[in-house]
Amino acid sequence: MSKNLTKRILSGLRIVGILFIFYFVTFPIFWMLLTAFKNNRDAYSTKLIFQPTLNNFTLLFDGNPYNFAPLITNSIIISLSTVIIGVPLAVMAAFAFSRYKFRGKNLLLIFVLSAQFLPATVVLLPYFIQFRNFGLLDTRIGLIIMHLTISIPFAIWLVKGFIDALPLEIEQAALVDGCTEFQTLRYVTMPLIMPGVVVATVFTFVGSWNEFLFAFIMTTSDNARPMMVGLLALNEIDGIPWEKLSAAGLIIMIPMFILALSIRRYFVSGLTMGAVK
Amino acid sequence: MERGKTAKFLLLGPAVVITLAASLYPMFFALATSFRDWRLARSLVPQDFIGLANYTRAFQDERFLNSLVVTLQYVLISVTMSIVLGLFMALLLQQQTWLNTFVKTVMILPFAVSPALRGFTWKFMLNPQYGAFDKIVDTVLPFMADIQWLANPVWALIMLAITEVWGWSPLVALMFIGGLDTINPEVTEAAALDGANEWQIFWRVTLPLLSPIILLVTLLRIIFSLKIFDQIVTMTGGGPGDATQALNYFVYLNGFRFFDLGYASALGYILLLLMFIAAFFYVRSLIGEE
Repeated sequence: MSKNLTKRILSGLRIVGILFIFYFVTFPIFWMLLTAFKNNRDAYSTKLIFQPTLNNFTLLFDGNPYNFAPLITNSIIISLSTVIIGVPLAVMAAFAFSRYKFRGKNLLLIFVLSAQFLPATVVLLPYFIQFRNFGLLDTRIGLIIMHLTISIPFAIWLVKGFIDALPLEIEQAALVDGCTEFQTLRYVTMPLIMPGVVVATVFTFVGSWNEFLFAFIMTTSDNARPMMVGLLALNEIDGIPWEKLSAAGLIIMIPMFILALSIRRYFVSGLTMGAVK
Repeated sequence: MERGKTAKFLLLGPAVVITLAASLYPMFFALATSFRDWRLARSLVPQDFIGLANYTRAFQDERFLNSLVVTLQYVLISVTMSIVLGLFMALLLQQQTWLNTFVKTVMILPFAVSPALRGFTWKFMLNPQYGAFDKIVDTVLPFMADIQWLANPVWALIMLAITEVWGWSPLVALMFIGGLDTINPEVTEAAALDGANEWQIFWRVTLPLLSPIILLVTLLRIIFSLKIFDQIVTMTGGGPGDATQALNYFVYLNGFRFFDLGYASALGYILLLLMFIAAFFYVRSLIGEE
């Protein structure tokens, strides 16, 4: 009897714990969602019921004090370019690392891995000076280059894990049948590692979209400034307008949520480069 | 089998160039610059070779020593909280129920929120006048009502860590659930048959079996926590005073605010060494797993 009761209490506590987790995880997002639709006065209260408004979203684009439209364009162009240039290069390199033997391969792989452990400020120092000389500061191209330096090593490592897991025989059969190296990669390996390529694409896009430090230091105007840094420009004399910031935050967050959820089966293993499945 | 050499170079070339540009070049450049006196305000080219002077300067610089202490405190708080909370979440969510599946799906969302935005969100919620988190604390824990979260040096550091814990602990939990799933249920059943209670099973059976993955995740968290930067800009600005001025932010101040490139490079290298110590153990335990 008493054992049954403790069991009930325990499963009750378990539910409470799970609900606690749920609120901890979702509350900040929920609060931003709510604030984005509040008017200026309601944003500074903790009201749950209020007259919703879309005003904050229109205010982001009316140029007073700030117009977000060019920033959205910058974000999209920078992230898309990083994906379009970075992912194919990473897949090619991952294939070569996985399938060929050559001198210095292990050393190169160490550099691929270590690129992810470098503090971004250290990476940025030389580029900041070079870009200053070449006039690449405050340009989209400059930021795309910087984003490639972070995303390619990560993507190589991630995709390599997927290729390593494939049996060699399939490719050898294709080569024996007269395919060239590139045909083999394109028509035999690629379809088999498609999940890996998709995961690499999503992580590259999300990484570039959410990147802050490089953009923060290298952009000084709307020429290249992505949305992430635009949030800082929302600052007004009397403080941060939280309702507008929340609206901008939503525009930044929602597409990333969709991307993250689309690969949720691979999210954890992808992030840890397959170390944790 | 001998495969085409040209194909090899074409496949490997561009990505390797970018990778080396991303690691070898900055590492070499920062090391070379760290031995020089180079203030961008005075000169566009590096000045005198001054040996280890930038490094000795760092260890006499109280602001650097402060940033080192802040960083280590931050790493300790942030990593401990996310591992403990992650383990707690994993144990609660381990069973396959519809509620757990739903919560596990939602759990990847915080990580998709960019760190800079996480800082803003929490700054908003912590505002002592109208912040939602502050209001909740005021109601649930009235004795904490007077705390000015971001104006108090200790709380500011803890809250900075909370932003990262919020993003990471759900993910840590998902990694641990992956680890828990690989534990053969017969092992825990056998322990239960031998008379062990749930508490003993957790400490004596589950935790030891989980320890390789806990070690791996801890090292990964240390590496990322050492890099803390974005939230400092959007949430605390290094303050109050210099209570949240972590090393990466201090490098940024010297390099890109004061344009003291030589000194910033030396500081960056010290941070890099800290990261590589953690990374070394991470890679070693990765290889040990295989």
